[in-house]
Amino acid sequence: MFRYSTFALALVVSALCAGAEDLLVLQDLSGRQGGRLVYAQRSEPKTFNPIFAADSVSREAIGMMMADLVHINRYTQRTEPALAKSWTVSPDGRRYALELRRGIRFSDGQPFSADDVVFSFRVYLDTALDSPQRDLLMPGGKPIVVKKVGDCRVEFDLPVRYAAAERLFDGFAILPRHLLEPAYKTGKLAEAWGLRTPPAAITGLGPFRLKQNIPGQRLVLERNPYYWKADKNGIRLPYLNEVDLTQAGSEDMQVLRFESGESDVIRRVGAHDFAVLEKESRRRGYTVSDLGPGMEYTSLYFNLDPAAGRPGFLRRRSFRQAVSTAIDRNALVRLVYGGHAAPLGTPVPPGNKAWVDASLRPPVPSVSAARALLSSGGFKWSGGNLLDPAGKRVEFSIITSAGNDDRVQMATLIQADLKELGIQVDVVPLEFRSLLDRVLRTHQFDTALMSMADGDADPNPDMNTWMSDGGNHLWNTAEKSPSMPWEAEIDRLMRQQMTVPDYARRKKMYDLVQQILMEHMPLVPLVSPDILVGAKRNLGNFRPALMDHYTLWNIEELYWRELRTGERP
Amino acid sequence: MRYAARRLLHSLVLLIGVSLLSFLFANLAPGDYFSAMQTDPRISAETIAGLRARAGLDQPLPVRYAGWAESMLRGDFGYSLAYNSPVAPLVWERIRATLLLTGTATFVAWLLAIPLGIWSAAHYGGWRDHALNAALSLLLAVPDLVLAIVLLAGAVETGWLPVGGITSPGWDIMDAAARLRDILSHLALPAGVLVLGMLPVLTRHVRAGMLEALRSPFALNARAQGIPRRRLLFHHLLPAAANPLVSLFGFSLGTLLSASLLVEVVTGWPGLGPLFLDAIMGRDFALVLAVVMLSTALLAAGNLAADLLLYRLDPRIRVQ
Repeated sequence: MFRYSTFALALVVSALCAGAEDLLVLQDLSGRQGGRLVYAQRSEPKTFNPIFAADSVSREAIGMMMADLVHINRYTQRTEPALAKSWTVSPDGRRYALELRRGIRFSDGQPFSADDVVFSFRVYLDTALDSPQRDLLMPGGKPIVVKKVGDCRVEFDLPVRYAAAERLFDGFAILPRHLLEPAYKTGKLAEAWGLRTPPAAITGLGPFRLKQNIPGQRLVLERNPYYWKADKNGIRLPYLNEVDLTQAGSEDMQVLRFESGESDVIRRVGAHDFAVLEKESRRRGYTVSDLGPGMEYTSLYFNLDPAAGRPGFLRRRSFRQAVSTAIDRNALVRLVYGGHAAPLGTPVPPGNKAWVDASLRPPVPSVSAARALLSSGGFKWSGGNLLDPAGKRVEFSIITSAGNDDRVQMATLIQADLKELGIQVDVVPLEFRSLLDRVLRTHQFDTALMSMADGDADPNPDMNTWMSDGGNHLWNTAEKSPSMPWEAEIDRLMRQQMTVPDYARRKKMYDLVQQILMEHMPLVPLVSPDILVGAKRNLGNFRPALMDHYTLWNIEELYWRELRTGERP
Repeated sequence: MRYAARRLLHSLVLLIGVSLLSFLFANLAPGDYFSAMQTDPRISAETIAGLRARAGLDQPLPVRYAGWAESMLRGDFGYSLAYNSPVAPLVWERIRATLLLTGTATFVAWLLAIPLGIWSAAHYGGWRDHALNAALSLLLAVPDLVLAIVLLAGAVETGWLPVGGITSPGWDIMDAAARLRDILSHLALPAGVLVLGMLPVLTRHVRAGMLEALRSPFALNARAQGIPRRRLLFHHLLPAAANPLVSLFGFSLGTLLSASLLVEVVTGWPGLGPLFLDAIMGRDFALVLAVVMLSTALLAAGNLAADLLLYRLDPRIRVQ
C-alpha cells in the first residue's frame, strides 16, 4: 500500500542513535490535524504494562501508546519497518541485524536507543516474570539472544532457523529503560504502570500518550509530539489531537453508543447488530462495512483422547467424515449470521489469503453421502436410530459457550442436521471457563463447538494448535507425542515449515497439513464470521482490515474531514 | 448498649460465614483467571503454570483463605490478578459512582413513595387509589431489565439522553453548571430505572402502614375531635405507621451497593456492577469477594441501623 522512504535528513550518518531525526515518511498519505476521536471500549483496560497485559482491551489502549521494531500491516498482512528502519538476515537465517531509527524520542522527550531494545527483550524473556508473550520469543523452545552492536543497531540470534522471524517483533512494545529499569531491578515491574500510575510516568513510542485516566469511565490520550511518522506533506502524525477511550461496559452498549453517535468507530459487531446499524446508517451519518471473513474460525472438535472414556465411535474416521458431510454449512451462514460469514472446508479461514488451501472447498451437504460413509464404517440403523459397529445407539453431546448465542444456535442446527442420520445429539451450553476446563483439563466432553482466531496470518504462532504436544491441540490435549501416524506427519510438516525460508515451499507443506486434517477430521471446520465494522462518514483514511485491531490499526493516519463544532485544529 | 453490642456480634459472625462460603464457592467454580490464556496458541502451558504459581493458585485452599483474610484485615481486600493491584483502590473508585446512582435513586424513590402512599391510603377504595394501584402493579410486574432496555431504546431514538457513562468527552473543560447538567443527564436514565423499580414496593408499604394507622382507634378519636385531615395524616398517623417503614429504610440503606449492579451493567453506568460482572466472568475472585463482602457488610449495617432506630423510636422494643 503506502510506499515508505526515510526522511532526507536521516542520511546524515551519526555514530550515536541521537542526531538527525529519522522520520518514517508515508509518501501516499495526507490528512489534516485536529479533533478528537471517541471510541467506546467494551470494558476498562486492566493495566498499561505491556509485559503483563493479557486482555484485548488493555492491549488495545497500549497499542496506541507503544510501538514495535517491525510491524505487521493489518491491511496487507505483511511486515513493514517501524522502529527498525531496516534489517538483514544472515545466510543461515539465524541472525537478524536491525538498524534502528536515529534521533527519535519517547513521548516524554527522552531519546530512544539500542539500550531500550535490549532492556525490553531482557524483560520479556525473564523467566522470573513469566510474561505471556515470552513463548513467542522461544522458537524451538529456546530463547532468542539479543545484543547491542551499536547505539542504533541490535542483533537477534535465534536458536533455530525460523521462517519469517521478522514477524516475531510485531506486538513487542519497546519499553523506556529510563523509567522501568528501577522497577525491574527492585522486582516491582509487575506492579508498574497500573491504572493509578500518573500519566506522566507512562511513556512510549506510539502515536499517543496518556493524558488522563478516570477509572471505569474513560482514558484520554493526547498526540505524542515526538512520534516518528510523517505524511507526504511533512506533517507529523498522528493527525488527531486526542483519542477518548470511553468504557461502554458491554458489547451491547458499544453498539448503542455507536448508533447514538456517542462513539465514532465500532471495532466489530455481530450480524444481528449489523443489520440494525445498516438500516440506520444513512440517517445517523455513519457507514458500516462487511469486510468478508476474517481470521476466526468456528469448528466442531471431537474428543479423541482414548483415556477420556468417551464413546468409541468418535474415534472412527468414517463417523467424523459423515458428521462433516451431513452438516449444512450454508444454512449456518444464512440462519446464524444472516449471510455475513463463509462456510469452511479447512481450519485456515479464507481471510488468511496467503495460507489458506483454496482447493479445500466446504463439502456439499448430503445425507445420502453421509449414510454411505457410515455404512462403510460398519454403522447400522435400527428403527431410524444409528447404531455403532458394537450395536450401541449413537448419541453424543456438543458443548459450547452459553454466552455466545451464535454458537448455541449453530449447535442446535447441527443437532437437527444429524437427526436425519439417526444420531441423537444433546446441546449443552456452558459458561465459557467451564467449557475450557472440560476441553483443556478434565477432557470430559464428546464434542466441543468452539472458535479460534489466528493472531497472525503466518502458521508459526499456531504450532501449539496443530502439533500433537501443543496445549491447544483441542482434540487431544493430553497427548505428549503423536498417537496416530497422521498426527506424526502433521508434526513433521509443521516443524519443517517452521524452518524453511521459502514461502512457496512452506505453503505447500501447510497445504498438506490442511489436507491431512480434512482427511482425518479431528475437527469439522464450520464457518468463519465476516468482520463487520463501522465508522462516522467524516473520518478520513479509515481503512478497516481483516486482522485485529480491525478499525483503529492505523489510528495515527485517521483524521476528520471536517472538525466538529468547538474542536481545536 | 448491650443490645447494640449483641447485634454487632451477629453481624460479625454473618460476615465471617459469608466470607468462608463465598471463598469456597468461588474456588469450586471450574477454571481460574488464567484459563482463558489457554486458548491463545502463542502461550505455552509452562508459562501459564508459572503465572498460576506466582499468583499462589497452586496453594491449598486453607492457605489461600488465610492469605486473603490477612489481606482483608490489612485493608487491601485481596489482590486482583487482572489488574495486578490490591483490590481496595479499585473498588473505592467505583463505589462513588454506585453510591451516587443508588443514593439519588433511593432518595427520589422515598421522596415520591411517601406522599403517594399517604395519598393512596387517604383515598382508599376510590378510583384514584385503584388507578395508582394498577400503575404500581404494572411497574412491579415489569423487570428492571425490561425497563432499562425500553428507556435505552428511547434514549437512542430521541437523542434526549446520553447512552451510558457518567460524563461526556471534554467534561474537564466544562464550567461547573455544564458539568452538573452533564452528570444529571447521564444519571437520569439509570436512576429512572431504579426509581421505577423501587417505587411500587415503597409506596405499597407506606400505603399499608397508613391504612393500618387510619383504622386504629386513636385515628377515629382524632377525627372525631375535628383534627384537620392534613395534620392528622402527617403529624399523627405517619409517625404511627413508621415502624415497618424504618425497617424498609434500613434495608434500602443496606442495598445501596448491590441494588443497582444489574442496572449498571445494562445501562453502562461505571459503578461496581460492570467491575463485578467482569471479575466474575474473568474469575478474578479477589475482586468478586471484595464486592460480596462490602455488600454484605453494608446490608448488615443497614439492618443494624434500622434496629437501633426502631429501638430508639419505639418504647415497646426497649421494654422487650
